[in-house]
Amino acid sequence: MGVAVLGMGICGFTPTSTGLSYREMIAKAAKMAYRDAGVTVDRIDGAVSAEEDFPSGYSIADEYVPDQLGMVRKPVYTIPGDFMHAVASAAMQIETGRFDILVVESYSKASNILTKDEMVRFAFDPVFNRFGLSPHWLAGLELNSFLSETGYTIEEVAEVVVKNRGAAVANSNAPYGDNFSVDDVIGSRPVSLPLTELMCAGYADGAVIAVLGTDQAAHRYAKKPAYISGIGWGSGTSILERRDHSLSIGTAIAADRAYKESGVIDPAREIDAFFVSDTYAHRQLMHMEALGVGDNHDQAVNPDGGVLGGGDLFEATGGARLYAAFSQLRGEAGRCQVNAERVLVHAWRGVPSDSCVVAILDKARRVL
Amino acid sequence: MSNRVAVIGVGMTKFMRRAQEAPGELAAQAVRMALEDAGLDIDDIDAVTLGTAPDAFDGIHMKGEHLIAGAGGSNKPYMRHFIGGATGVMSPIHGWMHVASGKYNSCMVVAEEKMSPCTPHPAGAFLTIFDRVTEQPLELTLIHIFALEMARFMHVYGYSERDLAEVSAMIKRNALHHPAAQIAMDLSADDILKSPLLSWPVKRLDISPTSDAAVAIVMVNERMARALKKAPVFIEGVGFRLETAYWCARDLCYPDYVAMAAKDAYRMAGIVDPVRDIDFFEPYDPFDYKALHHLNALLLDKTGRTVRNLFDSGSLSREGSHPMCPSGGALGVGNPIAATGLMKIAELYFQLSGQAGKRQLQRPLRRGVAQAWGDLMQAGTVVVMGAEGAPPVTSSRWNDMTREDLPGTPIKSVDDVPGISDAPDLRYAWDNGFAISTYLDGLKKGKIRGSLDTRTNRMMVPARPFSEIADLAPVTNYFDLPDSGVVKTFTISHVNWDSSPLPKGTVNIFAVIALDGINEDMGLVHKLGDIDPKDVKIGMRVKAVWKPQSKRTGGILDIEYFAPLGRKKANLGMTQIKPVEVDVLAMSQKQGKIPLSYRYTAGVGGGKFYSDLAKGKISGTYAAARDEVIIPPAMFDEESLSILDPEKDARAINPGSGFIRSFTVVYEDRQGRQLDKEKVVVQVEFPGVTGSIFGMLEVKNDEDFEEGSPVTLVKPKKVNGPDMVTFRLSSRQVVSSF
Repeated sequence: MGVAVLGMGICGFTPTSTGLSYREMIAKAAKMAYRDAGVTVDRIDGAVSAEEDFPSGYSIADEYVPDQLGMVRKPVYTIPGDFMHAVASAAMQIETGRFDILVVESYSKASNILTKDEMVRFAFDPVFNRFGLSPHWLAGLELNSFLSETGYTIEEVAEVVVKNRGAAVANSNAPYGDNFSVDDVIGSRPVSLPLTELMCAGYADGAVIAVLGTDQAAHRYAKKPAYISGIGWGSGTSILERRDHSLSIGTAIAADRAYKESGVIDPAREIDAFFVSDTYAHRQLMHMEALGVGDNHDQAVNPDGGVLGGGDLFEATGGARLYAAFSQLRGEAGRCQVNAERVLVHAWRGVPSDSCVVAILDKARRVL
Repeated sequence: MSNRVAVIGVGMTKFMRRAQEAPGELAAQAVRMALEDAGLDIDDIDAVTLGTAPDAFDGIHMKGEHLIAGAGGSNKPYMRHFIGGATGVMSPIHGWMHVASGKYNSCMVVAEEKMSPCTPHPAGAFLTIFDRVTEQPLELTLIHIFALEMARFMHVYGYSERDLAEVSAMIKRNALHHPAAQIAMDLSADDILKSPLLSWPVKRLDISPTSDAAVAIVMVNERMARALKKAPVFIEGVGFRLETAYWCARDLCYPDYVAMAAKDAYRMAGIVDPVRDIDFFEPYDPFDYKALHHLNALLLDKTGRTVRNLFDSGSLSREGSHPMCPSGGALGVGNPIAATGLMKIAELYFQLSGQAGKRQLQRPLRRGVAQAWGDLMQAGTVVVMGAEGAPPVTSSRWNDMTREDLPGTPIKSVDDVPGISDAPDLRYAWDNGFAISTYLDGLKKGKIRGSLDTRTNRMMVPARPFSEIADLAPVTNYFDLPDSGVVKTFTISHVNWDSSPLPKGTVNIFAVIALDGINEDMGLVHKLGDIDPKDVKIGMRVKAVWKPQSKRTGGILDIEYFAPLGRKKANLGMTQIKPVEVDVLAMSQKQGKIPLSYRYTAGVGGGKFYSDLAKGKISGTYAAARDEVIIPPAMFDEESLSILDPEKDARAINPGSGFIRSFTVVYEDRQGRQLDKEKVVVQVEFPGVTGSIFGMLEVKNDEDFEEGSPVTLVKPKKVNGPDMVTFRLSSRQVVSSF
């Protein structure tokens, strides 16, 4: 059984969003998604949200999911993971044959969190890794390991920032677009050297909604669906002392599964555009290596500006990547449009994790 | 159509008030045991899914990520699911999805909870489950909402406090033979009734204890179950439903959402009449009334007559026709939230495969149902499991399992073992948005403001901008409402939000009040005042007592409390008003924080690390499965999920033999503020061992270092956390002499 994306909606993405509660933001994105998918609320069987507790400020964030989706009393649960983890969970749910149409939701009110670094630091192991320092220390150390193990240079890492933030200038949904040089990036304020400020994505507010369904549902309701031909997820170990910080095993495991399901043998040739997590600039290169593509390809990577251009939305981050990819497949990416029939969407959960998702989406259903 | 999914193995730790083990260590012990029970290696497991309730318990943001290694999820597809207290029964449902979808052949399902790090009491984590604008300022906690629901349940269904005490006593007795049980006791209803009154009608022994524990089960497809020659117990039906978060807007006496989840599960399982077709029941029982409250829904009987008859005739006992909580439930075995739900699933597996030992129900069993509940009186998860009628397993180790056989190390106090303290500074300013800003503007003016959902003809309080039950239809008409109403339910509380006692002789009376002139099911929660607690009755009329205008700030505390209306007449008028205009000043923010701090045990591996560190030493742990010494010291090997003993399997490492594997120069502190002087974090490896140690590098003026530079551990003056792990550069001679 195939699973399709019937429609999507967003609200954002902006550095702040005063004037909209999280509920109002999500409801707005949901209405956009439902209309796009061609479905009414009563046609939707249930919802999966992607949320963690502390970004919401609630001890049980899951409580506040159903109302603004119109999903009261329906089958609803939360995946404390990236939006793309929730997509993967919803896709499994549909593949059991017991659900036809599900909605996937996530949002960020990053601007409402006054102590973001403190919160991210709180994700580190209190016994071994929770230093009285910025949580970016792990990204800085990763970057160092990545450079010395792979032969990439700091200039190549900075080039990712130049390209992505540059691409975002043309993207009206991306608040962090600007024209930087490699020297600007390397010379920007040190955060955790060799990591500098411009290599780290800024935060943004926004909501993302996707409506998923069976191929039959897509055929019946959606005007412009996209088809998930493969989706995998994977996690590197949580024990930082015994993790190789120069690579992303989580990505490799996820990609292996997604490629198998969609019959991809040579990703550098078969995939037209890559939407890959670049929350830190080096992570884009690291993820592209783990995807088996590296830098030896002509395809577009993050043509919309990526996370560096669009902002880190915490759990909703992968949703923004999916929205960018979905728009590309439909020819609705405006000034960021490239030619794409098959795209790859990748998500990473940010430090201290190496938990990743890889999905392959097609403009038309392909038969293996 | 779905593949059939079987449970073929279970593992669990003891349920404990405080465990020495770190969260990952608890999980690893349950996983190891489940693997052995199923006769599998971790390599046979295709995917791992983990259930755990709020991060505020364990005190780790993104707790699911932290638990990857312990759950056996390293280098595997791994995902956490979460639905508050209903998580534990969502766990097998999520595992079922992994296998029923055909995506994976096998899935390790793990539930872990470590509530004890949360100080001063885990109950404090519940302050921030309530709506931050309309409820949190009242300083409610979970016990209050349970008490409100319990009072309503007793009022509608006619149960007495003694009736419910009987339920508590029965379930705690059932736990006497559960090997994991934390507080199994043979008590009488009088003992329950005599326990301290916390928030009427809730007494201490009406409630399950807080606990640390982990449970794991192995789920596989039918082909694999048959190949392993297991007596499989199959998942026959699953259901999960989530109600509105506006819990004051519905009658708490009956959990419709549980009934709906049950109906979903029954439809899938082909169950027509649950009273006839299900042999035993494991409803979630965090409070005694909850078992009956949920059983009403599991038997799809809103009148409550079926359960009342079963209760009155003693049929809910282990010897009765419809045994309820034969495991001993949350009330007896303990309540490590997510792990409790999975413990109930384990009980279905034990009973249906004849592995329940002295708890075994003495008649042929075909089907059982387990259920969990959670969020704001809101989430229901239901699983039906069935046996095939095969002869029960006779040679199961579970039949003779004792508490001593189960892993887990209970401790009296966290101060008895090495530990680390931390108080995160988690502060927020939440955008209230248009509707709530309009509502708060009303409170400042001494008005309760609602909005009219014209599709359903409901006046909604607090004001909302859309209809949550009618296609998200826009709601644009705002009204000032009467500030009087009727008490739907109440509780008389003797405790604060953090479970500390109120000053002697003082109480807080919390009530759900249905406001006048609008739909009966639209209410709000607030305090009652100007009344003797013994005079409070469900159905009494009350009216808001407002603070003087000069003291109102635009918050729910602008109403001091609701007081009895007596014979006075309420003003029932409603006035349509113009909502606030949208500008940055009118759009308000609500400031808040998460007021918790933590005392973590260092765990078994961490305990060894810190006791070594205090002596200026480092040791690794020999992991036989990979024939390697791993650092830092570990209680389990994340590759094989074998259990290690960091004391017995210790291998000394020369603390002067390290070299820098990687490093970073950090310019910001934990809050993101610039440091006065940058700090160097190093990852240090040692020859011949796998792994590394992270710490600070002491750098003197002009000292150069790079990857590969030799370093030596500095013996710390005090040992109270990772910041104390420090290295300094050493001369090459030190290394070469090693």
